[in-house]
Formats: sequence, structure tokens, C-alpha cells
Amino acid sequence: MMSSGSLSVPLPRRLFFRSFLLQASWNFEQMQGLGALFVLSPLLRKLYQGEELQQACARHLSYFNTHPFMAPLILSGVAQLEVNGAGNEEIEEFRQLLMAPCAAMGDAFFWGGVRPFAAVVAMFFALHGSLLAPIVLLVIFNLPHLLVRIVGFSKGRELAEGVVDFLARCRLPDLAIRLKQATLILLGILCAGLTHNTLNLAALPWHWGGVVIPVVLMLGWLARHRLSPLLLALLLAAVILALPGLY
Amino acid sequence: MESFTPYLLGAGMAILLGLDRTAALQIMISRPLVAGPLVGFVLGDIPTGLTVGMLLELLWLCRMPVGASIPHDDTQITVGATTLAIALSGSLEGGVGLTLGALLVALPLGKIGQSVERAVRTQNQRLPAVALARLQNGQLPAVERLHLLGLGNFALGALTTYTAIVLVGRWLIISGAPFFLALLTRQADWVKLALILVGVATLLQALNVRRAYGLFFGGFLFTFLLLGACR
Repeated sequence: MMSSGSLSVPLPRRLFFRSFLLQASWNFEQMQGLGALFVLSPLLRKLYQGEELQQACARHLSYFNTHPFMAPLILSGVAQLEVNGAGNEEIEEFRQLLMAPCAAMGDAFFWGGVRPFAAVVAMFFALHGSLLAPIVLLVIFNLPHLLVRIVGFSKGRELAEGVVDFLARCRLPDLAIRLKQATLILLGILCAGLTHNTLNLAALPWHWGGVVIPVVLMLGWLARHRLSPLLLALLLAAVILALPGLY
Repeated sequence: MESFTPYLLGAGMAILLGLDRTAALQIMISRPLVAGPLVGFVLGDIPTGLTVGMLLELLWLCRMPVGASIPHDDTQITVGATTLAIALSGSLEGGVGLTLGALLVALPLGKIGQSVERAVRTQNQRLPAVALARLQNGQLPAVERLHLLGLGNFALGALTTYTAIVLVGRWLIISGAPFFLALLTRQADWVKLALILVGVATLLQALNVRRAYGLFFGGFLFTFLLLGACR
């Protein structure tokens, strides 16, 4: 086995780029388990040989499930522990300790916060027919995405066991709430602009826009009662098509 | 005149964008607002793709791809609807009516995507056991290839969903065009507003923030009154 120390430069780069394919074999049994082994395998090949390599690989071929953007943080920490010659139990404990909190933080921040925010900002451009819309969405989403991946990967290697404190300092859940609040205000502004434009096109008086408020409340109430967006969209479209002379 | 080429190009895009949903990268090129214009660019009609993407973007925005939860396949709905709208614009009277028709037809067909993705993930379930057997034979490179085989399964799943949407959708559009196309064109602005309002309402529910309605209606009323005053 290789002596403890830090990883030589090309290897971390390979591990990092492989982390983009973490979910390629996602399945209900081990979830990202095979993916985690795929990410770590260049390192394991370097550290171990023969029987030891088989054992190390089998150790990592187990249940692994976290947010894909936070996975580099955990996996680089695992890689560093492997390099440091940590025991099986220590590595497993490290994985178990981080998987769930990272998943919860990543889900709340990226899926619940950044993605809706990026989409709503991009919608302002889309409603004006601007081709900047997809670019805006990609830039707003991927700046924090890539930052978290890169910083996470480097911090995981540096801190290993200290990663938990680092995560607590990042305050991602608080940031997610702020982003959600901003998204809601932007959504209101977006809706007002769209309603105003539609009324203009239909040559209807602007105060008719007030109708949007009960419509959104009603749709929200139906959504809360588990009516799917699909059903709501089809129902509303059917109602509009069945109302002749709306124009 | 309808050509087969847009459907083929659409299939390529369906695979590429479908992989971004779960299996690879996740840089959000699979989001409707990005996927639509990208497909439109490849097929030579970006505005149609942008319209489809814009109307779909908010509908399932907060359905999280978390753990075993599989959201509605809005990527393949976008790719399928954009491809249908562009491919059929030569043989049917094109325009916004056809775009909305393709979108409304593709919407329920996206349900197929959920079942297909569930099947793909179930199919991938055998991979860890095979990987373990290969490991016991000392074949680590074969284990890495197995992982990439999962990527192939996801690609096949994306192609299956796209094909189903395009085949059934094309038949439905061609059969229903004489009845709905003119009506959809006439009511286009209202249908667009309705789809976006549904997206907004579901988002208000899903964002799960205190005073969500207060923040939303605050933004709405302030802007609406401002626009009204400036009119």
C-alpha cells in the first residue's frame, strides 16, 4: 500500500471529473454505490494491488446516496482517508456521517433554492422572446453548482474529518430560504408583467388583472389538495378552449 | 412536406438532454427552458423551442429528483413537443396554435417517462451484483464499464420516452388538427397565461416558505399597479 500523504495532482483531477458521472448506474438498491466506486477506482488502483485492491473495491461497492453536487466533498474526504491509511470502520463512519446531511442540504439549496431562482429569472427573458433566457438559467444555476463541486472537492481533501464543521459554517439552508423568498417576489413581478401584456393584447381594461389573484389562489388550493400540475394545466386549457369569444 | 430528419435529430437531442436529467453532468441543459431552445436551434426554429420551454419550465420545477422519487419527464415532453411542432409545420398550418397543440398533446404522454425511468433504475439494480462478481475475479476495468452500461440504459430510456411521445403525439395532432388548430391559435395568449399560472400556483405550494402568498402577491400587486399607473 502507498504511504500516507496527499494525492498527486492528475489523480484528484480524474476523481473530480469522474464525479460528474456518479449517477450513471443509479439504482434502487445501492443508489449511487457503484458510481462511488467508479469515482474512487483510479485512486484505489494506485493505492492497492491484488487481494487488497479487491477488498478495497468491495468495501466501496455499498449503499451510497447523497446530493450529486455534494458528493465530491464526501468522496474526496474518503479518498484522503484512504491515502492516510485509515481503517475500514473509520472510512465507513465518515461516509455514513456525511451522506444524509449533505443530501438534505444539497436538496434544499440546489433543487429548492437555486434552481427555482435561476428559472424564474430566466423566465423574464423568455417572456420577451430573448434567447438569453437559457444562458441566464445555465449561468445562474451552474455558478454555485460548480463552485460547490470544486470547493467541496478541495475541502474534502484538506479537512477530511473536519468537513462537518466546514459544512455547518456554509449555512446553505439559510441561503436556500433567502433564495426562495426572492423567487416568490420575482414570481409575483413576472405574473404581473405577463397579465398586463395579455390584457393589452386582448384590449381589455387593466384592472381585469385582479382576476389573476383568485385564479392563483384557487389553483394553489387545488395543488395543495394533490391535484397534479398536469391535470391542472389540461383542465385550465380545456376551460379556456371551451369559452368562445374570450377574444 | 414532412421530413424524417427533424425526428432523427430530435432523437439525438432526446438522448443527450435525457442523460443530463439524472445520469450525467446535471448542468441543467435538461430543463425545459434550455432544452427547448437547444432542440429548436438544432432543428432550425429557436422561437418555437423557446415557447415550449417557457410554458413548461415552471410546471414541475420543484419536483425534486431526490432519492427514489422520479419526477415527471418534462425534458422529453419539451424535446417531443418542439420536434413535433417544427416537423409538422411543413404539412400543417404552423404557428403558435400548432406549438400549443404539440405541447398539450405531449404533456400527458410525459407520464410514460416516469414508468420508463423506473424500469431503467430497476434494470440497473442488477449491476452491483454483477460488479461484485467481476471484482471477485479481479476485473476492476469491467466494473467501471458496468457503471457506464448504466449510462446506456438511461440513454435507451430517454429514447424510448421520446419515441412514444413523438409517435402517439404525431397521430393525435394530425387527427385533431382540423378541430383544434384554429381554436388554439385564437386563444393562444390565454392558454399561455393559463399554463404559466398553473406553474406559478404549484411553485407557491412547493417552495414551502412562510408568508409565500404574501411575498408573491406583494410583488404582483406592486408591479401590476405600477404598470397600470404607467399605462
